[in-house]
Parts: sequence; C-alpha cells; structure tokens
Amino acid sequence: MNPPPPSATQTGAPPSSPRQVPSCHEGGASLAPTGAPVIALAGTPNVGKSTLFNALTGARRTMGNWPGTTVEVGRGAWRPRTGTAYDLVDLPGAYSLDATSPDEELTRDLVVTDEAHRPDVVVLVADSAHLSRSLYLLSELRERAQRVIVALTMTDVASRRGIRVDPDRLAAAVGVPVVALDPRARRGLAALADAIERDLAAPHTAPRQLGPRHDGDPLARADERFAWIDACVDAAVDRQATARRSWSDRVDAVVMHRLAGPLVLMAVMWVVFQITTTVAAPLQDALDRWVSGPLTDGANTLLAGAPTLVHGLIVHGIIAGVGMLLTFVPLMALMFLLLALLEDSGYMARAAVVADRTMRAMGLPGRAFLPLIVGFGCNVPAIAATRVLTGARQRVLTALLVPFTSCSARLTVYVMLATTFFEEWAGTVVFAMYLLSILLIVGVGFALRRTLWRTMGTEPLLLDLPAYQRPTIRVMTSVTWMRLKGFLRTASGIVVATVCVVWLLQAVPVKGSAALGETAIEDSAYAAVAGTLAPAFAPAGFNQWEATGALVTGFVAKEAVISSWAQTYAVSDAEQGADTPLGQNIRRDFEASSGGHPVPAVLAFMAFLLAYTPCVATLAAQRREIGLRWAVFGVGMQLAVAWTLAVVVFQLGKLFW
Amino acid sequence: MSSPRRTLDTLPLHRRAQLEATATVDTQARLARLGIRLGAIIEATQRTPGGGRVVAVGDLRIALDRATARDLLVVELDAAAS
Repeated sequence: MNPPPPSATQTGAPPSSPRQVPSCHEGGASLAPTGAPVIALAGTPNVGKSTLFNALTGARRTMGNWPGTTVEVGRGAWRPRTGTAYDLVDLPGAYSLDATSPDEELTRDLVVTDEAHRPDVVVLVADSAHLSRSLYLLSELRERAQRVIVALTMTDVASRRGIRVDPDRLAAAVGVPVVALDPRARRGLAALADAIERDLAAPHTAPRQLGPRHDGDPLARADERFAWIDACVDAAVDRQATARRSWSDRVDAVVMHRLAGPLVLMAVMWVVFQITTTVAAPLQDALDRWVSGPLTDGANTLLAGAPTLVHGLIVHGIIAGVGMLLTFVPLMALMFLLLALLEDSGYMARAAVVADRTMRAMGLPGRAFLPLIVGFGCNVPAIAATRVLTGARQRVLTALLVPFTSCSARLTVYVMLATTFFEEWAGTVVFAMYLLSILLIVGVGFALRRTLWRTMGTEPLLLDLPAYQRPTIRVMTSVTWMRLKGFLRTASGIVVATVCVVWLLQAVPVKGSAALGETAIEDSAYAAVAGTLAPAFAPAGFNQWEATGALVTGFVAKEAVISSWAQTYAVSDAEQGADTPLGQNIRRDFEASSGGHPVPAVLAFMAFLLAYTPCVATLAAQRREIGLRWAVFGVGMQLAVAWTLAVVVFQLGKLFW
Repeated sequence: MSSPRRTLDTLPLHRRAQLEATATVDTQARLARLGIRLGAIIEATQRTPGGGRVVAVGDLRIALDRATARDLLVVELDAAAS
C-alpha cells in the first residue's frame, strides 16, 4: 500500500468545470444563483487570493502569509453593490499553467482545459511587490481567448520598498484592465466589481500573439514571455532608491542565523508550547468545573425521575462527552490563533528554513517541526497544525507521527506510576519516557519513509520568503474561527459517541443481580471486555483486567486513566505515591500479573501507554486532516508498535529485575 | 585572482553575481517559477542553518538549501570588475 495521491478532500481534485466545483470551503459562503457569471481568482501562492475571496463573499476561508495555503477550491456568492451576483471560485495558487503540482493541475484544468465551462472572467491577483513573478501566469492567460482582470495587491508592502506600480500604465502594457486593491482593509473592492461589469459588457480582448521565435520550443516560448513581462514591468513600475538592507533583511539576519536561528525557533516553539498548555489549562479547568458542576447538577435535577439508562446516557454520556470536547476549545482556539499569527506575520517560512536540515533526516520538510513540537503539549492541535505542510503525503506522514509525541495528559500517568514504583528514580523514569517518545518518532518516521513513503522524493529547499507584515486581527480571528468550527464539526460526533459507549459498558451488568447503571465495575461489561483483552498482554506482564480497562478508558482520554483506576479499586482519593491505597492496589496487581516482575511490567505498561492511540479527540482530528482510512491505519500501526514495544520491554526487563 | 565563475555556495556574502547556469533543468525550471531566469543578478545575503543560502534577486528573497546552492553556477560581478 502506498500513500495515495492527494485526495479530493485534501487538495480539491478537479471537477469537470468551475460551475460544478464542490463547495468545500469551510465558511459556509452561500452559493450564487444558477447561471450567475463565474469569476475565478487565480495567481501565484501567497498573493492574497483567499483574503480577497473572503472579503468579497464574507465567507471564512483558509488564508495566511504562507505559500500554498489555498489547497482546496472555495466557491461562494459575491453580491457587489452593482446588483449582479457572481459565482466566485478561489483557485489554488499556481505560478504557471504548465502544471508541476496537483494544485497547479487543478488550476489549469479549471481555467483552460474544459473550454465549454471556463470561468467568464479570471481575476489574476498580482503581488505589487513581486510583480514579475505574478505576471507569468498572466502572460499565459493572455495567449488565450480569456477575459482577464488584474487585481494588484500588496501595494503597501511595495510602497515600503520604494516600488510604485501605476495601474493605468500596467493596463496599457498588459492589455487588460488593472485594479489596485487591498483585501485586508477591504479597499478597492467596488472598483473591481465595476471593472468586471464593464469587461463583461465589452467584446473579448484579442489574445496576445507570440512572436515567431518560439517555434514550439518551450524554453524559447518561456523566454519570450519573460521578455514581455520585463517590458510590462518597465512600463508600469517606478522604483525609488532604497536602502540595500531592508528591515526585513535585518530581522532575517537574526531569525535565520546559523546559531541564533535555531535558538529563536526553540524560543518561539517554547512560547507556543507554553500557551497551548499552561495558558489554556485554567480555561480548560474552568470549563471542566462548569460541566461537571452546575451543568451536571442541573441535568441531575431535571432528570431525577428519568429511567437510569436515559439519565446515565445524558449525564455520563452526552454531557460528559460534550464537556470533554468543550475543554479542548480554548486549547484549539489558542493553537489556531498562534498558527495564524506565525503564518500571517511571515515567520513560518523562516522557521521552515531553520528546521529544514533536521527534519530532512526523516524525509520531512522543515515546517513539520511545528506539529511535532506542539504534540508534546497536546496531540489534538498538533494534528491540526500539520496543515502548515503543503504536500498531502508529507501531511499524512507527519499526522501519523504526531501521536508518538508524548502529550501532557500521558505525563500525569507516568508521574503516578513512576512515584509508585520507582520513588527516588521517578524523575529519571519520566525523562526516559520522553526520550523513548523522540526515539519512536525518529524510528517510526524512518521506517515509514523507507517503506510506504519510499517513493516520496526529497524536495530541495527553494522557498520564497514572503515579506514580514503586521498580522491583522481580522485575518487571524477569521482563520481561527473557521478552523475551530471545522474541528468541532468533525470531532464532536466521535468524541461524544465514544464517551457514551464507555459509560454504557460500565453501566451494563454481566454478572450479579445489580440493575442497569448500578452495577459494580468488576461485574460490568467494561470489566468483561477488559478481561477479554487482558490475555493479549500476558507477554507484556500486565494481563489483569484492571490494567487493560485503564487502557480502554485511556483511549477516550489519557487524563481518565488514573480516575479509572481509582474507580476500579474503589479508592476515593487518587493521590499518588507508593504508600497510598491506590498505589498499593496497583503494585499488588502488577506483581501478580507479571509473575513477580512488577518493575519491567510497569515499564512495559508505560511504554504501551506512550505508543498506543493517544485519545479519541486525536483520532477525530486525524480523521479530519488525513481522512478516515489513514486514521484507522494509524490506530493499527500505533497498537502494533505499542504491543511490540511493551513485550520487548517486559521480556528484556525481566532478565534484570 | 580567483576565477569569478563559481557555484553559489562558494560565493562570498553580499557580492553580486550573475546566474549563468544550473546543474539540472529541474532546478532551472524551479527558479523560473519563482521569477528567476538565467542571467539574473543575485546576491547571497546570508547563510542559513544547514549551510544553505538566502539570496536576494531584486526584491525577492529566496532560501536555498546547500545542495541547491551547489547546483547554481554564477559569475561574480564585483570580482570581474575589480
């Protein structure tokens, strides 16, 4: 099995025509009436197409100061004040119609291949600060019978660099209308609408004729286009003498310095890590307290006379599941906000350069560093952060590696077991778990790279560094909201359903005479299921149902492992340490199940806990980012790695302890 | 005097050079997509971690890894002038 080519949901596979483009953007833009003129936004990556799309439609769409952000086709209705409704299509970034990537293929197919359904007007979004690069696509479009309007963006960045593009002179040079606008500030949008209306009412502009030089030779043809571009730029651009080193260069000198650059990157990652863990924690706790306190109490009061099954499902299933989901909201919102900040400011491209060499060892680009670091805080936002990767195969590989990063929820279990079994060596054992986590990422990454991903070439680094810019609140908040909404929509079902199933297992009696919802846990279906799984862990030294039951609960959330033990052993206080009632019970069971080798057995348990599926929310995030098929593959792979690791640890460990 | 023709990874920082050739057509095509043609005047502005370079081509700033920098043959203009 090889990783698939980018799927329709990942990159927007070409539909038959723009008029049939699926509405896969996430902001819920309404669609234009049937028969409305189709306006396609095209241009190189990172020129502001998605920002313009959002400004025109009011929809929320992926956007950011990062090449290749737009990897899907967005579609929405644009209703300018002129009264005409347009069907607006946001195409993936493309440098040329000679496609070399799935994104460019999609743009080429939508704009030129299907002539019967071509867009009525292509709005070529061009970066004023890098006009030459933006005009290659225009040169190709101008050779076809296609209505084109140039929308000049980034005029503020160009102006700071002493570059002024005259729209009228440029229009005369390129032969199509040119409108200067600022989609971030929503300036110039009405002028664009007017230009489109005028263009649609006028006859087609004649295609530009290539000179006699090319004779079918692609290099000669490209050269002729470049010559045309140079002539257009010379005609329309005024440059003032600027300082040789811009402030952007001065910042780059530090953030991409051979020694300081990695330190800056580590500092930035540390801040991200801190915010996604410590800053979010009080908010998560407050939401958790509200759900488990007032909300649950209120539900208990309202459902006082309801049947046990209904009461249990609502309070311990739905409310507990929604509560768990809610606790992720501050964490995810902060993560998405920070991602938007890093992307929109332009720093993300620099981080990719700094981390490139390290990540290249695993066959991943430098930007894969971010999700892997974030994973040590929480895997759920880390999976979401894989979207900074532009290649679908790289995104799948990284999303499969993230669960091996040891999240903070697992730390609570390590600490509890380490203080119970290893006392003064507890700190060293916990540190070893983090070391093992890094080894697993490198090892599994290496193995996947040489098997399923062996055909994925190592792409050389040739990265356009976008100009730094001040992040705008509007862009950041809209990106954050769009991503958060997408996460909640995808994750809510699977999280709530899993919590309900676990509650139901714990409530259904399979032994004794207790009623539904009132059975002791050892007589429940939960204990029966855990007991069925237990023999599989005999080679790892922990084949007691209490341990496997905790692992089942741990699939829902690792935070629940300790409380599951407390519930199993009927201990009211889950205080940690060797001499606590909980610690004594756990020691006794590990001693019994391991045949007198509790130390290697508990190390094996911790290794399994580290490597198997982190939690149902991570699974939901994986399903969203890489699809159900790869999420299921990931679960299988993690279980196989975790079981093998646990068996090796126990069998080797028992030679020494 | 050393030859002004060299690969980009050996070009001293802040010296202007003209891009003369690339080792592969693929590299040339990748550069062209970013708006950089053979004959473009480029200047390495800094080294990056891992031995790559950041080059300035007009207002563009492009980061290259070391292997790609080795693929670019340039003619140092300042050296030729001196």
